[in-house]
Amino acid sequence: MQTKPFMARWLSGCAMAALALGLAASAHAQKRGGTLVMLVQPEPPTLASYASTAAPIGQVTAKIFDGLAEYDFNLKPVPSLAESWTIAPDGKTITFKLRRDVKFHDGKPFTSADVRFSVLEVLAKVHPRGPGTFREVKAIDTPDPHTAIFRLENPAPYLMMALSGYESPMLPQHVYGAGDIKAHPNANRPVGTGPFKFVDWQKGQFVRLDRNPDYWKKDRPYLDRIVARFVSDSATRTASIERGEAQSAGMAAIYYSDVRRLEKLPAIEVTTRGYEMSSPVVELIFNTKVKPFDDVRVRQAVSHAIDRQWIIDNVWFGFGKPATGPINSNYAASGIYTNAVKRYQVPNGVEIANRLLDEAGYKRGANGVRFEIVHDITPYGEEWRRLGEYVQQALDKVGIKATLRYEDVPAWLRRVYTAYDFQLSSNWLQNLADPVIGVHRAFHSKSIRAGTVFVNASRWSDPKADELMDRASLENDPAKRAALYHELQKIVVEAAPNVWTHELLFSTVHARRVKNIATSPLGVFSSYDQVWLDN
Amino acid sequence: MAEPAPSQPTQTFHHAARAFWRRFRRNRGAVAGLAILAVIALVALGADVLRPGDPFRLAGAPFAPPFGEFLFGTDSLGRDVAAGMMHGARTSLLIGLVATLAALLLGTLIGGVAGYYGGWLDDVLMRITEIFQTIPFFIFAILLIAILRPSIGSIVFAIALVSWPGVARLVRGEFLSLRSREYVQACVIMGMPEARIIFLQILPNALSPIIVTGSLMVATAILTESALAFLGLSDPNVMSWGFQIGSGRTHLRTAWWVCTFPGLVIMVTALGINLVGEGLNDALNPRLRDR
Repeated sequence: MQTKPFMARWLSGCAMAALALGLAASAHAQKRGGTLVMLVQPEPPTLASYASTAAPIGQVTAKIFDGLAEYDFNLKPVPSLAESWTIAPDGKTITFKLRRDVKFHDGKPFTSADVRFSVLEVLAKVHPRGPGTFREVKAIDTPDPHTAIFRLENPAPYLMMALSGYESPMLPQHVYGAGDIKAHPNANRPVGTGPFKFVDWQKGQFVRLDRNPDYWKKDRPYLDRIVARFVSDSATRTASIERGEAQSAGMAAIYYSDVRRLEKLPAIEVTTRGYEMSSPVVELIFNTKVKPFDDVRVRQAVSHAIDRQWIIDNVWFGFGKPATGPINSNYAASGIYTNAVKRYQVPNGVEIANRLLDEAGYKRGANGVRFEIVHDITPYGEEWRRLGEYVQQALDKVGIKATLRYEDVPAWLRRVYTAYDFQLSSNWLQNLADPVIGVHRAFHSKSIRAGTVFVNASRWSDPKADELMDRASLENDPAKRAALYHELQKIVVEAAPNVWTHELLFSTVHARRVKNIATSPLGVFSSYDQVWLDN
Repeated sequence: MAEPAPSQPTQTFHHAARAFWRRFRRNRGAVAGLAILAVIALVALGADVLRPGDPFRLAGAPFAPPFGEFLFGTDSLGRDVAAGMMHGARTSLLIGLVATLAALLLGTLIGGVAGYYGGWLDDVLMRITEIFQTIPFFIFAILLIAILRPSIGSIVFAIALVSWPGVARLVRGEFLSLRSREYVQACVIMGMPEARIIFLQILPNALSPIIVTGSLMVATAILTESALAFLGLSDPNVMSWGFQIGSGRTHLRTAWWVCTFPGLVIMVTALGINLVGEGLNDALNPRLRDR
């Protein structure tokens, strides 16, 4: 497949997917009706998925917004709002043919003008990853309401991987076109084309979505309603799944040790499918612009002091795999991943860490402390707090006294991604469908954008790394592209702007009677138009 | 005024203290409560000797069962539960005492002023007090801590701020009734400054109910702190009983000991404080003794 030219690859992918969809639709008699209660944790701060990529947002909004394409498990784009597309041989023109029967939830038709508006006016400007994804798009021509022609400055192979309703939602221009998009009145009353319509958001309790009877996929969705419930207590979430009050919970909504218990129950099913486009890597983030983490030796020392396997075993109850760098080993198949980088997980890590800290001039004081830092723990739930507590202890062993600070999500996001008023924090980086979308944002100098969340908060950058990423974005030859990424991984891992602890393995816990819950590599971030309830 | 002979008040004090102790001792439960609190206070003071070092230290294998290598086992990260309980006793007692003292001070001041002066000042202060009383106190405490970010200081502040209205109302009632007594009227006629009347004449006579209320408030404060910590609103750098229960409750079915022992000690402490409060009430209000 990697030797075929671009256009042929996409087209054959489309044809196969269309065939597969047709077969699937006739193969099984799905039942209509019913309400799916899904647990989303934590409550999303907003429903403006075009402006924030916080994990809980997309779990709700992917049901409301469609994208130009969907993806199959081979990570190939398949038609959605765009029924077909052609990519010119030079890779600089992509022509999308749009469906003619698509209406927004307010009854107005979906047209190429909405595509142009969504991509150029919204996603390329306010989406955290959009400016990266669409940076080569210099214009979108709309010769007629059902044709959108993307004019690119340079080829952008990753762009076709970022067209889902989760990643690049298509918004109605007549709604979002008026007023300030960053503080839009419809941010929390989203209007899209998706299988479910937004009805109500009772803050602190639930978001209710009702079936869109005019959905363009005939006879879909199967469910009458989706209720996204927000339950802040982890034990209560587990109990509600166990008792059947809620029927599904994705990501880390069910605590890892509870998943281990629930997976043995007959009425409950656990799947790790549906996270193939996520590929998350847990990381500690240094603020490389302030002392003491402006010194690479200090950062490397911390990286050496952390025991990755210990974290996986005791904090994540085995749901993980030690990470060697920012790129997830899921990318081994495409040749992009390499483990030929500086290794921090070594038996004498603590010893090396102590030596590096001595060399950096941070000698132990009389009380055994070299320096004190504040560690902002991630307010995402219990495991993150345990991670913070572990890190505090691990740093104590090498003479770093860490004080933990715990704030709510908005305050923490502002501190880390807007004010840069932190020394050490933690988060996880979703590699997503392509490193250009998922990884570049954490290390490129252009991704140092105050106020944009989940981008380069460490503010580390390097001209050589920038150049490698820029070249990899344009490189159509898979082998050359892989080589560029190998070099990038070497440089980034050596510079250690983050500590990459492990690759997270997520799971979706659901009642056995919920069917078709993982029909896409986007899993809980997909539209759920095929989900149905048995009896 | 001539200085009285130094031995005289000391002797009366000793006499009063003995009488007080006699009355307190009569309540067996109160003595038992005092013994419980004494043990807990001793353990809290000796935590650094009994279990030296950071109670957050990863001491051993995670989920080690109790009564083995570790007295009360270890939690999910391998932290010694017993060490956490000993160090947590300090946090709980400290927060209980400091928050209660702060609430007593504020409540006494506001209630005293309102009760002594009456009139519009009383109206204003009591309306403010009522505003605080109409907000569910636990929700209010959560809100305050969420805004201020969880730390020992903010937790003490929040608990004090939600606990003072009860004290204010109590003190106001006492002051209202005491200020019309003859000895107060006499002081007013003598031209004694108001501050002197309030603090040296009326307040000492209103102290008994304040002390009794205060002792019970300590138990409430400890329970509130634990409940907040249970919800994750604890100072992440300070070990407390509530934190132990909160972090252990996820594993209740697989590792019961992580939250059971801290839970028991909270219960026992609250019980001890309530017993002592009961005894104080008997000792300080002898007229109610035989009710």
